[in-house]
Amino acid sequence: MRIVVIGGGKMGSSLALSLIEEGHDVTVVDRNESVLQRSMDTMDAMFIKGSGVSANTLKEADVQHADILIAATMGDEINMLSCLTAKRLGAQYTIARIRDPEYLTSLPFLQKELSIDYAINPERATAREISRMLRFPFAGSIETFARGRVEMADFRAAEGDPVVGVPMREMYKKNRHLPQVLFCAVERDGEIIIPKGDFVIQPGDRVHVVSDVATITDFFIALGKGTTSIRSVIIMGGSRIAYYLASMLLGMKIKVSIIEINPEKARRLSEMLPGANIIQGDGTDQELLESEGLTDAHAFIPVSDRDEENLMSGFYAAQRGVKKVIVKSSRDNYSAIMHNMGLDSIISPKTVACNSILRTVRGRASRSYAAVERMYRLMEGKAEALEFIAEATADYIHVPLRDLSVTNDALIAVIVRDGQVMVPFGNDTIEAGDHVVVISRRTGLSSLDQVVKR
Amino acid sequence: MNYKLVFRLLGRLLLMEAALMVPSLAVALIYREGDAMAFVYTIVLTAVCGIPALLLKPQRDDLTARDGMAVAGLSWVILSFFGALPFVFSRAMPSLADAYFETCSGFSTTGSTILTEIESLPRGVLFWRSFTHWIGGMGVLVLTVAILPRLSGRTAHLARAESPGPTFSKLLPKMSDTAKMLYGLYLGLTVIEAVLLLAAGMNVYDALIHAFGTAGTGGFSNYNNSIAHFSPLIQWIIAVFMMLFGVNFTIYFHLVRREKEPILQNEELWAYLGITLTITLIITFNILPQTKEGFFTALRNAFFQVTAIASTTGFSTANFDAWPLLSRVLLMVLLCVGACAGSTAGGFKLSRVLLLGKSAYRDLEHTLQPRKVAVVRFEGKPVQESTLAQLGVYLFLWLGLAGCGTLLLAVFQKTDLGTAVTATLTCLSNVGPGLNRVGPTGNFAFFSTPAKVLLSFLMLAGRLEIYPILILFSPTVWKKN
Repeated sequence: MRIVVIGGGKMGSSLALSLIEEGHDVTVVDRNESVLQRSMDTMDAMFIKGSGVSANTLKEADVQHADILIAATMGDEINMLSCLTAKRLGAQYTIARIRDPEYLTSLPFLQKELSIDYAINPERATAREISRMLRFPFAGSIETFARGRVEMADFRAAEGDPVVGVPMREMYKKNRHLPQVLFCAVERDGEIIIPKGDFVIQPGDRVHVVSDVATITDFFIALGKGTTSIRSVIIMGGSRIAYYLASMLLGMKIKVSIIEINPEKARRLSEMLPGANIIQGDGTDQELLESEGLTDAHAFIPVSDRDEENLMSGFYAAQRGVKKVIVKSSRDNYSAIMHNMGLDSIISPKTVACNSILRTVRGRASRSYAAVERMYRLMEGKAEALEFIAEATADYIHVPLRDLSVTNDALIAVIVRDGQVMVPFGNDTIEAGDHVVVISRRTGLSSLDQVVKR
Repeated sequence: MNYKLVFRLLGRLLLMEAALMVPSLAVALIYREGDAMAFVYTIVLTAVCGIPALLLKPQRDDLTARDGMAVAGLSWVILSFFGALPFVFSRAMPSLADAYFETCSGFSTTGSTILTEIESLPRGVLFWRSFTHWIGGMGVLVLTVAILPRLSGRTAHLARAESPGPTFSKLLPKMSDTAKMLYGLYLGLTVIEAVLLLAAGMNVYDALIHAFGTAGTGGFSNYNNSIAHFSPLIQWIIAVFMMLFGVNFTIYFHLVRREKEPILQNEELWAYLGITLTITLIITFNILPQTKEGFFTALRNAFFQVTAIASTTGFSTANFDAWPLLSRVLLMVLLCVGACAGSTAGGFKLSRVLLLGKSAYRDLEHTLQPRKVAVVRFEGKPVQESTLAQLGVYLFLWLGLAGCGTLLLAVFQKTDLGTAVTATLTCLSNVGPGLNRVGPTGNFAFFSTPAKVLLSFLMLAGRLEIYPILILFSPTVWKKN
């Protein structure tokens, strides 16, 4: 597909790179020459210098024939205007990044009037993601499939865990009491492995498991990782994420404290969030954290604009025994280091927004019925978990799995039929309308035919 | 340098070259003039050298800008070597140095020859000699990017290093699509020319040879007296196509897509057409007194020679060395300037001259009005100061190479000043003929072996626009990383 990306900043360039990987024709528009120069060396895209609101620039980028326009500049207003202009010029579908909370309430009619087909608010999406992670504190991250019936969760295997040191095929013979989940992917030393029968989990591996909601919970209880619910949270930094997150958590009747260093910001937060406990002070100050009850808090979430501060206080909180620490960090290159140092829950607004845009793009790109329902990226995109709906006319329908060939780097994790979740075995079949969750090391899949063949 | 990746890329290029020799082998088999085995040996040898490199597994597949440039330079040096082998194996040329000179001249689309007697050579060999023009015109790396699956995410470096002009403009978002589009336009124009030449009475073989020579703006002919061998109609057709191949291919892309605006805005195109026509008229009247056949012959010869030199093709229909001084000087100016960026032509490139002129005018204005802030505009867009600075450096390198080249040539070869200067310039500009002993009736056979090697180097440097060849001399490029 022909895609025009307005804005070559952090989000724009990372989006463009993923889109090029997936084979789309990408044109990047930016006002800053040096940004374009830098990207030119690493990206196989077309670069246009100019403003995304200028019709001339947009014409030069050939938006008339573009399938999708993504406006991802720093300015909400520029993004909205770009979408409007591009739509008038003939772009098929427009996506805008709109992040100012002030626009939140007017968004529905703004979207309609300005021809924005899809508005993405990275901070709000991130807040939603964090609140979801808080509901399942035992897992590093948790993704849902099949309208919430199936979950994929990950945890770090530790010395002494019953799953460690046992080959996969003997897993449930040795651990009879363990609820049956599917071990779908393991991250080890920066590589992602799809475990086969003789694979053995080692301490330090990040293990992803898939099953229905109840079994996943039972599995973690059996592992001794427990599931106490979160009732009080400390948020460090009064950023936009903090605002969105606090309003979500307050709605869930969770006690929220926000620590913000800037008195004016703190005051404004207090105005906007009547139910929250706003503290004006330095969130990296350990004494302040202790006096605000860090050790009693169920979760500590540093989401300030400075990633380094988030990291440092995140480490401190984890070391002080806070059960759940979720760190916001926009830099991809840090996450491997953080995983190694024991911080498992890291969230980046850029990645959250990119993933959600990529899902939309793929949905539009695939014309077949077996389109991608949901898509998650594991380990900075080294692998993906995808949900497809099986197509009635496909040739894999109604054939026992053992007679089908599944590509080497993929795994069929679960099949959901009429609301029933099942971990498939050789005798099982895929029927029309089934939701099929696939874990794949090959990225950019857009249909189930690419995974299973007769 | 990421050696494994670089070797893999070179291996692919060798296999590509072996494949590109197959049409010449077919021609040799059709005419049965004893040169078929020369191609068989070369193809086998090239493939044998290329295949092991393909087995290398590079750990990283990111090609840095520096490595991309080094690959471009290195590949042209190596491909010219393997391309010279058919000439050696068929004994068409007396020595390896001669064969290497001829192949460099072919790939770099120069068209300077060391052959004194062309017509007696086997036709397979002559076909390969002209086919190197066609490959070299658009570039073998661009061809690789167009038809082979990508080896690295950063193939832009490769095609950029090979494409002439101050800036490389992509036609389509994907590099491989851009390369396909360029080759499509190139092939299309070549076919149109070949068909017209056939219609004008050439035989198939000659039509192909001359279409290749024109398309790549090379200038090898299979006749001793070049295009003077053919009828005036054929001379007109070739002259017009030489001019067309000197035009930036972006123009044809816009033409195919029926976009008027970018064509009208292209200052370089209009300057190119204007200069070509003006100088044609000046030379016509300048040579009119010595042309016995009258005005139209003078016009035809003037137009042919102007397009041949400006597009850096180097075909000839008349001995311009015998023309008045004014005409000769004008032709030498065209020889240095060359044609448009992004075409298959060589030379310094007209857009660079225009930009330097504008920049000089701006600086002159600045001395008169020191507080004036003025931007240099080109083709409707402001030009970055860094681009202008790079132009100055390029000018220095170009003149430096021309100067040092002449100096070294004087060391290696005893000859007159006019020959030494124009031989250097014609090789650096990828034109073909010069003046005096290397004029349209002369050739390069008399040069000593070191002089031939030096001129081969200048031809490759000129074709790749200096940097890719020059950085091969830098030790940092060869450091393992």
